[in-house]
Amino acid sequence: MQKLDFSASGLLDTLLRLRAVMVLIALLVVFSVLSPAFLSPNNLTILLKHVAISAILAVGMTFVVLTGGIDLSVGSMAGLGGMIAGTLISQGLTFPGMSTPFFPGLVSVIAIALLAGALVGLVNALLITQLGVAPFIATLGTLYVTRGAALLLSGGRTLSNLGGRAELRNTGFPSFGGGHLLGIPTPVIMMLALATVFHLLAQRTPFGRHVYAIGGNERAAAISGIRVSAVKTGSYVISGVCAAIVGLIIASQLEASHPATGETFELTAIAAVVLGGTSLRGGKGSILDSLAGAFVIGVLADGMVLLGVSEFWQIVIKGVVIVFAVTVDQLQSRMQLRLRTQAQTASLSAA
Amino acid sequence: MRLRLLALLALLPLALLSVCPACRPHDSRKLIVVIVPSQDNPFFKSEADAAAVAARNLGYAVRVDAHGDDAFRQDNLIDMAIASDASALILDNAGSDASISAVKRAKAAGIACFLIDRDIKANGLAVAQIIADNNQGAILAGEEFARQMGKTGNYAEILGKESDTNAQIRTHGFHSVLDRSPELVRAAAQSANWSQSEAFSKTETILQAHPDLKGIIAGNDTMALGAAAAVKANGRPTLIVGFDGSPDALAAIKGGQMKATVLQPAGLIARLAVSEVDEYLKKGSTGKPERQVVTCELVTARNVNEFGVFSRKE
Repeated sequence: MQKLDFSASGLLDTLLRLRAVMVLIALLVVFSVLSPAFLSPNNLTILLKHVAISAILAVGMTFVVLTGGIDLSVGSMAGLGGMIAGTLISQGLTFPGMSTPFFPGLVSVIAIALLAGALVGLVNALLITQLGVAPFIATLGTLYVTRGAALLLSGGRTLSNLGGRAELRNTGFPSFGGGHLLGIPTPVIMMLALATVFHLLAQRTPFGRHVYAIGGNERAAAISGIRVSAVKTGSYVISGVCAAIVGLIIASQLEASHPATGETFELTAIAAVVLGGTSLRGGKGSILDSLAGAFVIGVLADGMVLLGVSEFWQIVIKGVVIVFAVTVDQLQSRMQLRLRTQAQTASLSAA
Repeated sequence: MRLRLLALLALLPLALLSVCPACRPHDSRKLIVVIVPSQDNPFFKSEADAAAVAARNLGYAVRVDAHGDDAFRQDNLIDMAIASDASALILDNAGSDASISAVKRAKAAGIACFLIDRDIKANGLAVAQIIADNNQGAILAGEEFARQMGKTGNYAEILGKESDTNAQIRTHGFHSVLDRSPELVRAAAQSANWSQSEAFSKTETILQAHPDLKGIIAGNDTMALGAAAAVKANGRPTLIVGFDGSPDALAAIKGGQMKATVLQPAGLIARLAVSEVDEYLKKGSTGKPERQVVTCELVTARNVNEFGVFSRKE
């Protein structure tokens, strides 16, 4: 975060930087005026639960975008994560030479799904850092491969009844994403925990500083001794694991896993990141910005359902908001450039 | 590192080729190509499976493809069917208007076309068009919903993809019944694009906006199940009716989370199409009119045990 500047142009700059928060406040006001149910505690809880899905994807993807990359595979990975959990709980693992399948416990099920997310992130990173494939293409490839893997796992079927069985000691999955802790839905807790950890990771650790440095100028970062490949690998792994978490949450809430879950989620996540103000060119933005972006998208979607807006208009309005945000992004970079030139001219004339 | 990865990547397609059944050397049996919208949907999957099993049992070679509701991809798949010299095509098409030219091309190439589940507007191109009566099914669902609602109270409707013909026919069928009871009020209507997770989150929000909601009627079972999960999380009993008759919906009716669904006999339609293909290839005619309609059946807690996977139990 930059220091706040209270001169006229500085104020405008601050307002532009906090635009996601501004839009969010505007949306909250509009919806609470138009719908009496909007501000009820129950609705706000459910709203948070819905926001959590895109927020977890968005905060995970922020590191990747900050390095100047992109991760298109998160939606498919969410689908695969849910399918892995569904398969392990409902069918177990069958190794060659075993007559009955082995059913791992709940903790192992979740760990295996998260590991798969890390693995897909690792593959993305290897393709990008070792083979020099452009991030857009590499993750587009893994988007298809992971979606195909999710479909292959069940032969295209939806796996239902994920409650587990007591005699197999794998019960409890529905409360992973559908349960409450201290009255707060678990996905909301996960969103807050991940956002906090990632915020600290981005702002207070060498890893975070390196992520920003690579996004700012990759060559300079490499020359100054930053291990670019390792940092990039870390960010894609984080993104993959977050996607797996989202897949687990959805499968857990529905007590069913469907191989097509998460289609176009990557676009919602990217929209949230961009809306928040993280630049797709890398180096500029933050975890909290992406969180705000996810809130804008979530509040907008839920508010329109609450008001009974038709599906077609919902799609149009979502698009308009994204275009608006990116336009403001351009405006802001141009203004910063002007401010910097002004400052330079001023210091030159002073000298 | 880089070389090893490249070598691995190069080996991958070879490994895939060796497991791909369609890539084995050609055999002399006649080929039936089955094209359905997707194989990740239980309805289309059981339709495709039923057709494939029935055709194999009659001694045909079978290939199953999915067009993903994309008319362009369907076009390509039909070109491939022509190229592989198929004798017959069993098609659950990607849109009644968009599919006419593709079917015309297949017919011109000498392929006997059998349309199932969804029809096309043109006559005389397909040998047969066998569809479930979506309108009759929707009226059945609407009547049962109205009856269980006691013909009064607020309800929500979860619609399918609004650009899809079946979504329109079903909602029209529901309303032809429901709108006759003035005290049945549609308090909310949202599209969930046939998706379970979308229906789940939209229902959660709708339940907040309408605390007096008594029932939910959904355009398919997948969305009805999503709504059921949301109702369960909300805790207030709400009456749910779906459409399709999927195995998960039958289980939900047994468990009381759903009240009714309408079963589309996908298996029956697919088997009917295969037997007519066989008849046509052997005798040159199916002996039946081009347009054939198969009725849907209402499934409630009373008769749920009589049904299996998209068909009555044998």
